[in-house]
Amino acid sequence: MTAAILVTGGGGVGKTTVAAGLAVAAADRGLETLVLTVDPARRLATALGIERLGNTPSRTAGRDHLWAAMLDATASWEAIVHRHATPDVAERLIANEFFRAIADRFPAGQSYAAAEQTAEFLESGEWDLVIVDTPPAAGGIDFFLAPGRIRSLIGGRVLRWLTGAGLPGRRRLYRWTTRPALRAADAVLGGHLLQDVAEFLMDLRTIYDGVSRRARHIERHLRRATSIVVTTADPAPLGEAARFFRELPAVAAEPRLIVFNRSLPREWMLPPPPVPASGALKKALEDNLQRWAEEAQRRHDLQTDFATRYDTELGVIPWLPHPPTSLDELAAMMDVATGLDLAALDVPNP
Amino acid sequence: MVAAALAIRARRHGQRVLLIGMVDGAGIAAHFGAAIPGYAPREVRDGIFAMTIDRSQALDEYLHLQLNIPRNAPLGPLSKGLDVVTEAVPGIRDVITIGKVIHEAEGSWDLVIADAPATGQIMSYLRAPATIAQLVPTGRVRDQASWMEGILADAGRAALVMVAIAEELPVTETKEALAALEAEPLIAVAAVVANRVLSAPGFGSAALEDLPPGPHRDAALLQTSLVTDQDEWMEELRPDVMLPYLFGVHTAAEVAARLADTWEAAS
Repeated sequence: MTAAILVTGGGGVGKTTVAAGLAVAAADRGLETLVLTVDPARRLATALGIERLGNTPSRTAGRDHLWAAMLDATASWEAIVHRHATPDVAERLIANEFFRAIADRFPAGQSYAAAEQTAEFLESGEWDLVIVDTPPAAGGIDFFLAPGRIRSLIGGRVLRWLTGAGLPGRRRLYRWTTRPALRAADAVLGGHLLQDVAEFLMDLRTIYDGVSRRARHIERHLRRATSIVVTTADPAPLGEAARFFRELPAVAAEPRLIVFNRSLPREWMLPPPPVPASGALKKALEDNLQRWAEEAQRRHDLQTDFATRYDTELGVIPWLPHPPTSLDELAAMMDVATGLDLAALDVPNP
Repeated sequence: MVAAALAIRARRHGQRVLLIGMVDGAGIAAHFGAAIPGYAPREVRDGIFAMTIDRSQALDEYLHLQLNIPRNAPLGPLSKGLDVVTEAVPGIRDVITIGKVIHEAEGSWDLVIADAPATGQIMSYLRAPATIAQLVPTGRVRDQASWMEGILADAGRAALVMVAIAEELPVTETKEALAALEAEPLIAVAAVVANRVLSAPGFGSAALEDLPPGPHRDAALLQTSLVTDQDEWMEELRPDVMLPYLFGVHTAAEVAARLADTWEAAS
């Protein structure tokens, strides 16, 4: 069976780097590994050989067992619609601008596309391990809630309220505006908007049964997957990380690990050895170490507090002089990281 | 973080400030050591108020105002129905969020500071009124959208402060947004702020080569290589304001206050 690791965390913490690093480490152990990313930094994308959006994984140059793909949410949604709708409805939906909005901009739309893609890769059986760099979204936890939210968006409860039970004929739409609430809404929204939306939702409603079944299936995949949370010692991502630990257990597996990126060596916190220099250089080196020692202390305190408070394992990645921009640099990063043992993340041996 | 620092700074100049979390209020809460602010503005420090925009509540408030329904009367299924519509129609959600910010800005505050979504998403918020105006040919939403466009574009009433750290992704996103705003002047850019700027180390990397291994050398090497990378991205970003990296500062509240000090000293 294919194992899955979902890498979550706030923006700008190096989530993609951690996902790619884990993937390189797994591939180097001989596991057929796929990393699915969302909007990586260009240099990292280049290292992974994914310059363009695309849901078809490609093998990376230089690592035989490593595959990468960059989520194309619009393409995923088109595929979803083609799978579940009749050809003419599918065509109408895809041409609809509201549909584009859901695919590209509705946060749960992108998250759902990532979840759907993840499920497909897991079911294909082509990989031993699939690692997902989850989409950044307000509150982050969106990725895990997306299947449910998509179900309720097209789930028809509201649509049923709007149109009555069952699937009404399109003609009934035109009688809508006789309802007082809708007359009021139409006055606010203007002209045809509500009617356009309703037509769109009715088309979407026809794929509900198919998508709903599928979404439940995807939810089960997400619950079974191992999730880890990446953060730095900065207030905003720490707040998001805490939120994952509080909220994830209700919707998915409890996060297995908190990974602190940009950590500093413990030894910097010890009383410093004599300075191997003199004069102005001596003073500058002392001041510099003193500043970094305070920062190292702060980072260690936060790491320890977090791991204790949420009773979780701690992964630590040192603050590297340059962010990794090649597969070899990613492998080197994993060599100096601690606590990121694949075995501890339920990844089977090849 | 910078939004909180701006609020503290404005307060020191005697202004009554409202700080709005457009996405979530956790950051604001941390910087003022307060509980996460709700939808109703609450004083988090003398003269500084904070709130978080909740989209459903903003939509309800909007509908009550627009449909002249008493504030406490329930909207019932109408609001639920429109909740779905706002999810499906591009821009409505964002327009309601931005609309709430503008609504407050037109109120009695001296200054309203919105802690906006990430740089990568800012254009979609700023474009929202125009998107709506295109989609909706008539009606009150359209009129409101046009009114919002006007306020955002008026440099005397609204401006954007862009904050980035000098690293690849944030700098690239900031530059993309700046280029987009040049082509489409939806709002004036008041300042580009570089945050967490490391200062030049006071030693060259050549001087470090002869040093024996150990913490002094390691910390010096980290400092020099980070500054080298940072300078490369600073060259791209060309910020108007630079806020320093604060070493070893433990609490978010302290960070905001110290940045406000620095900003004061720099201007």
